[in-house]
Amino acid sequence: MPGLDARLPEGDPLTAWDRRRADYRLVSPANRRKFTVIVVGTGLAGAGAAAALGELGYRVECFTFHDAPRRAHSVAAHGGINAARARKVDGDSIARFVVDTVKGGDFRGREADVVRLATESVRVIDHLQAIGTPFAREYGGQLATRSFGGVQVSRTYYSRGQTGQQLQIAAAQALLRQVERGSVRLHTRTEMLDLIVADNRAQGIVTRNLVTGEITAHPAHAVVLATGGYGSVYFHSTLAMNSNATATWRAHRRGALFASPSFVQFHPTALPVSSHWQSKTTLMSESLRNDGRIWVPSTAGDDRPPNDIPESERDYYLERRYPAYGNLTPRDIASRAARTEIEAGRGVGPLQNSVYLDFRDAIERLGRDTIASRYGNLFEMYYDATGEDPYTVPMRIAPGAHFTMGGLWSDYDQMTTIDGLFVGGEAGSNYHGANRLGANSLLSACVDGWFTLPFSVPNYLAGVGASTELIAPDAPEVTEAIAAVRNRADTLLANNGTRRPATFHRELGEILYRGCGVSRSDTGLRTARDEVRALREEFWADVKVAGAADRLNQELEKAGRVADFLELAELMIDDALDRTESCGAHFRAEYATDEGEARRNDEQWANVSAWETTPEGQHIRHLESLRFDLVPLQVRDYR
Amino acid sequence: MRVELEIWRQDGPSEPGRFETHLIDDATPEMSLLELLDRLNDQLAEQGIEPIQFESDCREGICGACGVTVNDRPHGPVPKTPSCRQHLRAFGQVTTLRIEPLRSAGFPVIRDLVVDRSALDRLIQAGGHIDVLTGTAPDADAMLVGHEDAEAALDFAACIGCGACVAACPNGAAHLFAGAKLAHLGLLPHGEQERGRRSKAVVDQLDTEFGPCSSYGECVEVCPAGIPLTAVAAVHKERLRGLFRGRAD
Amino acid sequence: MTVLRAEEQRQTHRRPRPSSFVLKLAMAITGVIFVAFVFVHMIGNLKVYQGAEAFNSYAQWLREVGYPLIPHTGVLWTLRVVLVTSLLVHLIAAVMLWLRGRAARGPHRRRRMMTGLTAFGARTMLLGGVIILVFVIIHLLDLTIGAALAPETYRHADADGTMHAYQNLVASFSRVPMAVFYALSMVVLALHVFHGWRTVLQDVGATGRRLRLVWVTIGAVLAIAILIGNALIPVLVLAGML
Repeated sequence: MPGLDARLPEGDPLTAWDRRRADYRLVSPANRRKFTVIVVGTGLAGAGAAAALGELGYRVECFTFHDAPRRAHSVAAHGGINAARARKVDGDSIARFVVDTVKGGDFRGREADVVRLATESVRVIDHLQAIGTPFAREYGGQLATRSFGGVQVSRTYYSRGQTGQQLQIAAAQALLRQVERGSVRLHTRTEMLDLIVADNRAQGIVTRNLVTGEITAHPAHAVVLATGGYGSVYFHSTLAMNSNATATWRAHRRGALFASPSFVQFHPTALPVSSHWQSKTTLMSESLRNDGRIWVPSTAGDDRPPNDIPESERDYYLERRYPAYGNLTPRDIASRAARTEIEAGRGVGPLQNSVYLDFRDAIERLGRDTIASRYGNLFEMYYDATGEDPYTVPMRIAPGAHFTMGGLWSDYDQMTTIDGLFVGGEAGSNYHGANRLGANSLLSACVDGWFTLPFSVPNYLAGVGASTELIAPDAPEVTEAIAAVRNRADTLLANNGTRRPATFHRELGEILYRGCGVSRSDTGLRTARDEVRALREEFWADVKVAGAADRLNQELEKAGRVADFLELAELMIDDALDRTESCGAHFRAEYATDEGEARRNDEQWANVSAWETTPEGQHIRHLESLRFDLVPLQVRDYR
Repeated sequence: MRVELEIWRQDGPSEPGRFETHLIDDATPEMSLLELLDRLNDQLAEQGIEPIQFESDCREGICGACGVTVNDRPHGPVPKTPSCRQHLRAFGQVTTLRIEPLRSAGFPVIRDLVVDRSALDRLIQAGGHIDVLTGTAPDADAMLVGHEDAEAALDFAACIGCGACVAACPNGAAHLFAGAKLAHLGLLPHGEQERGRRSKAVVDQLDTEFGPCSSYGECVEVCPAGIPLTAVAAVHKERLRGLFRGRAD
Repeated sequence: MTVLRAEEQRQTHRRPRPSSFVLKLAMAITGVIFVAFVFVHMIGNLKVYQGAEAFNSYAQWLREVGYPLIPHTGVLWTLRVVLVTSLLVHLIAAVMLWLRGRAARGPHRRRRMMTGLTAFGARTMLLGGVIILVFVIIHLLDLTIGAALAPETYRHADADGTMHAYQNLVASFSRVPMAVFYALSMVVLALHVFHGWRTVLQDVGATGRRLRLVWVTIGAVLAIAILIGNALIPVLVLAGML
């Protein structure tokens, strides 16, 4: 089978993006309004793409299942956004950014795309500042930066602990500006449930109006999916309740390849699950690891209160195992180390599923006030969620499913394997390889939305031609897609089962955490695959969806999303089974060094697995081989 | 613990609503208000009753999607805290909860506890933005912003758009929301050139869709983002400034 | 739901005229005029503590101030015109805003408010305003016009301009119900002034922390001064000290 072609620019990688932009075809201003572009999602990538394309003069139809564009889950990112502006004399540069990101991703991301990420990062900050983000400033008035895990320079721009919110609000208001100008039509509470593919081109989507239940086909010349990641497949995750994979999964079932589905980042500083009804594992910012020390009791099953455990009986395992980086090792390593301790029975808390993050020494050294000024809001949030005071009792943290590096496969121009179907942000897959660096996700969403898709979508449209009509409402592909959506809803509602969709979701999450979580093994994955298949069968046999289709029905929404998760989960497991190496967040117990560190296999696996699912549900793997011109392959070593 | 819920049911925007009473026997103090509703919905499903529709998304207090009225308090009994972060342990002895949607004529009920808050977005749409085309922004380091101005702007920009301020207002006013946006943008150098135009657009829209402010100050008591009352003053400050200057800036 | 442009939305959902912004400003400006008037009026009333002659000649002076540049009672009538106009504007704006607030809130009223005194002040503005209006009418009939509710011994000014304001006042306040009504009205007025003054901050857009603090403090001082300066008069009359 021939490898996938990502259509990378030839020649010097550092200037490749400039050359590609110069090569892109253009659409004349008068012709732009003849093109309709659909953007699904209003997060940083979606709002950015919709606003920018609207500004350029294209007819943009933008969709979100939320009540308002501002709610998209980009809003929840805390720490910051990286940019290789390299203003300080700390040795940062575009090339350094590329090294950090490619290496951080354990050489499973696409270097050329990372160069674009780094290049455009400079003006992302300018633009987001200009549209209203109040970035933190030094007293001299310049932008302030902080440093983040996995890098040795200070290139993270931030707005307190709510950078994602501030960027998201700025992006949403830029989008609303275009709505008011009439260049973007925004459809809120409207969920994409299928993709219309005709003549091998993406030509529109099918949506359900979540308030009236109306199912509608929206034709377009190009479709952009910016619908976020699928981490909520794990049920307990740092994602929002409504985050889902339906848009990308439906596109996948229509032919778009899905890359690296098993690459999931587990955030080491999430709140542990402490009770059955706890609905999520809230993320505590990674910055806490700057001053907090992570430890577990040295002996398994030690259930004394943390402050009663003497220093000599505490194991600061990160400091012990990784003396160079200590508590600041990258996320995948910190999560894996925590999982190892928990599995060895040294976990703490009522369910023995967490580790301590202790500020005692930092408070002694710096004083309570300093710690309060650095982390006050996080401590408050922790207290709020758990009822425990982190100033006096160590925090409890545990790895939680957080970010999905995998997503729809796209070429260098962000176009998937379906012509005219583009992808942006976490829904895509090209930058972060097998592990994402902190503060790179906001960046990748912004670069895609504001500074990649507005170039590459027009390039595609220029090829389509301004005289190409939108697909007719009675075209067979349209009626078929509408019927498929309607059938699915009817089937779900008519099913004479007993269990709520959410109960299947919870069970699926447990299977995945167990079998396809922080650490994976052949037998574990095989068991998980059987369990997922059985659960999927049970779902279709026994799901009970209350209510009707013609009004707001959250049970129906949930059921559709869980049904897709049940298919996606199997693909994730197949990918994890297939990739017989350990890399980044994907850790296979069989492929480890004697010290228990990940062992990559570059000869066989220096490539991206992009999966096809046949209509019968068979998974077929395609490969895109990866090239590293700027960053020589090397072993990540944080010891 | 045992909690008695008197909860609002409404089938659609134009249907009449009613209260239903349900008992939860196995509530725990760690539960958040929304987890209590999750529990209730499971129980209702077991009883063959359609679950209650309510909105929530991030469940960590930043997205602004959630919001119900509990015993007449928007978001719940704990002040300045969104519904998703209201935990039963903080409710003291109160175990009877009357749960309704966020109430205001500007927020029509869609179903059960879900309301339509799009009027807030129309305020932003009308003028709560900065007119900068993608790619044309100047170097952000070349535009100096004082540390304190940036922090003050962030104090106002922290608004999560939940709409509790409107639901807390006996007049159905949205001045805290509108003022937070005007103050946020007014403190930044970008968009200075359209400050007057912006204030007119936002205040006109505010007057169109919401009630007048009578300085009750209830909005501040419920605001999960801690927006100060000065945001309310910022509405008239910006509008008067625009009026006196009589120009776009 | 497809989002309407704010502009489109305004076509079906018209912006009320005059806008609430204008009405609030009108209330603020007229309110400040009233507070200034009430305060000056209170200062004048202090003459009562100096005895009948001082008070009566003050009343006479009010009619002659500015003469001969300004005709007799010219200043007084100018003030009356300004005050009546302000009253009408204040009243109409208040009613319009009240109606708009009720409509914007909808059928489910806000209950169990949290802000205590502030909310109490805000909530009682309309009722307080009505009470003050009734008070003003009674006060004018009683001590200015000398009709209907005036004391039986009420004496109009003599032909030479000699005023009997002090005697009229004592006669009126010697009636217990009237004295109590005056005193209670002053409490209502003080509360109205306090909250109204504070609201002016929002209406004129004062955001500075110090300015707000100073302004609210001034409001409190004014309210207390008005309360004590005025309400003491009926109390002292009843106590036989005036």
